[in-house]
Amino acid sequence: MIQFKGLVKKFGDRIVLKGLNLSVQKGEILFILGTSGTGKSVLLKNLMGLMKPDAGQIWIEGEEVSSFSEEQYLPIRRKCGLVFQQPALFDSLTVFENIAFGIRRHTKDSEQEIQKKVTKALGLVHLKNIENKFPSQLSYGMQKRVSLARTIALEPKVLLFDEPTTGLDPVTTSAINQLILELSRNLKTTSIVVSHDMRCALDIADRIIVMDQGSIIEIGTPEELKKSQVSLVKDFLSEVLEKEARQ
Amino acid sequence: MMGVISDAGKVVIFFFRILGVWKRKSISSQLMFEQIWKVTMQSALTTGMAGFFVGAIMTIQFTMQMKDFGALGYLGGLATSTTIREVGPLLIAFMLAGKVGAFTSAELGTMRVTEQIDAIRCLGADPIQELVLPRFIAIVISSFFLLGLGLLLSIFGGILLGEVFSGVSFEEYLRHIPTIVSLPSILTGLFKCFIFAVVLAVICTYRGYTTTGGAKGVGLAVVKTAVGTMVTIVIADWVTSLLADITLRAVLGT
Ligand SMILES: Nc1ncnc2c1ncn2[C@@H]1O[C@H](COP(=O)(O)OP(=O)(O)O)[C@@H](O)[C@H]1O
Ligand SMILES: [Mg+2]
Repeated sequence: MIQFKGLVKKFGDRIVLKGLNLSVQKGEILFILGTSGTGKSVLLKNLMGLMKPDAGQIWIEGEEVSSFSEEQYLPIRRKCGLVFQQPALFDSLTVFENIAFGIRRHTKDSEQEIQKKVTKALGLVHLKNIENKFPSQLSYGMQKRVSLARTIALEPKVLLFDEPTTGLDPVTTSAINQLILELSRNLKTTSIVVSHDMRCALDIADRIIVMDQGSIIEIGTPEELKKSQVSLVKDFLSEVLEKEARQ
Repeated sequence: MMGVISDAGKVVIFFFRILGVWKRKSISSQLMFEQIWKVTMQSALTTGMAGFFVGAIMTIQFTMQMKDFGALGYLGGLATSTTIREVGPLLIAFMLAGKVGAFTSAELGTMRVTEQIDAIRCLGADPIQELVLPRFIAIVISSFFLLGLGLLLSIFGGILLGEVFSGVSFEEYLRHIPTIVSLPSILTGLFKCFIFAVVLAVICTYRGYTTTGGAKGVGLAVVKTAVGTMVTIVIADWVTSLLADITLRAVLGT
């Protein structure tokens, strides 16, 4: 469904992605783990065409998109929805207008249909009666959920999550992880989740990738990963296992 | 030095990008009027006050130089003409650079570092069309309103100080304004005002739009906007004075 071939991304002299190869299957939940600054967000932004790779190819459903113009990217952005690391809500717009923003631009829906889609999207993230609030009136956790609603309101086939639970309390964290699982199974979307949360990855991922310094150092199912001999992967795992041992 | 040249080049490219979007795509008039209103209201008080004091200062300066020649009758005309031609546009551009320029670059910069600009693109919109263009046009149009306001108040300031400081009555102050303030000086003022506004608008939107590096990056963008606009406006002042002079000579044949 999605394929990266030899993807290279540089910022000045700094090479952030070093010839990354990866293919993502239709309908799977793929987790990408890795320390901060290894280029996980950069990878997602390249996929969405927000940044252009310096070399390599990006294939989405049989199309090579890396050289697409902004206009050509429109249908790709309809197909793939990115939930940003920060809520990235528009401060001057209400929750309703934030969620309607993408629907108004990507579709020709009537006001009535938009109304329905917004309510449905908010329902999916377990929020209601906040349509007329402004982002600044919501807690950070709620803002992140509204941001999620804004992306899923477009019913994308591929959902990309950039650290959906970082900085959230444990209750909201597990609610959002549950939500990712529900969405993937109910809407049959393909999901790529960038995360630090190994526990959650082991629970809901079909496959897990561990990245370090711009390359993939381990890839496999949760069961396979538990047997990994790569030291960084072991570090990630031991953290989870220790915590569980303590409880 | 290379840095400055490459920055200038990028600003020029950004300017043509804005113009390109303006030509190809529609612009929401509601968004634009909102911005015009915001920019004008934001700066009206400061610009008006500054205009008043410039008129006052001009009057004092001219009085001190002219009273020995007994030429105080021309005070109003000379002070007003200098304000329109030179000091007014320059002052208003500086005012706008400090207020609107800093505000706009901080606003766009914050939207950039909080990923709102990327979000707009993902949601199928063009941030140049929906964010940059309305602000760009609003700054250019508002600066004309503000210029008018500033000049009006500078005349008030001049009249007041003419009465109090120079002993020139307000009829006398106003009498020679029409004879000395010529069409060329008004045109020069308007032309300058336009050029300064475009310079300011493109630099502050560029700096905001290309911000990187979190909250610190936003601070840096604001500083770069302030320095960049002030320096470029002074240079633009020199170039436009020269151009205006050459053009007027050619047109009027003097
Ligand atoms: N727009 C940019 N300009 C310059 N450097 C960037 C930019 N975006 C990301 N980087 C750099 O690329 C590296 C990877 O960033 P990122 O993908 O955000 O890391 P993470 O894996 O934590 O998401 C970081 O060192 C960051 O400084
Ligand atoms: Mg990141």
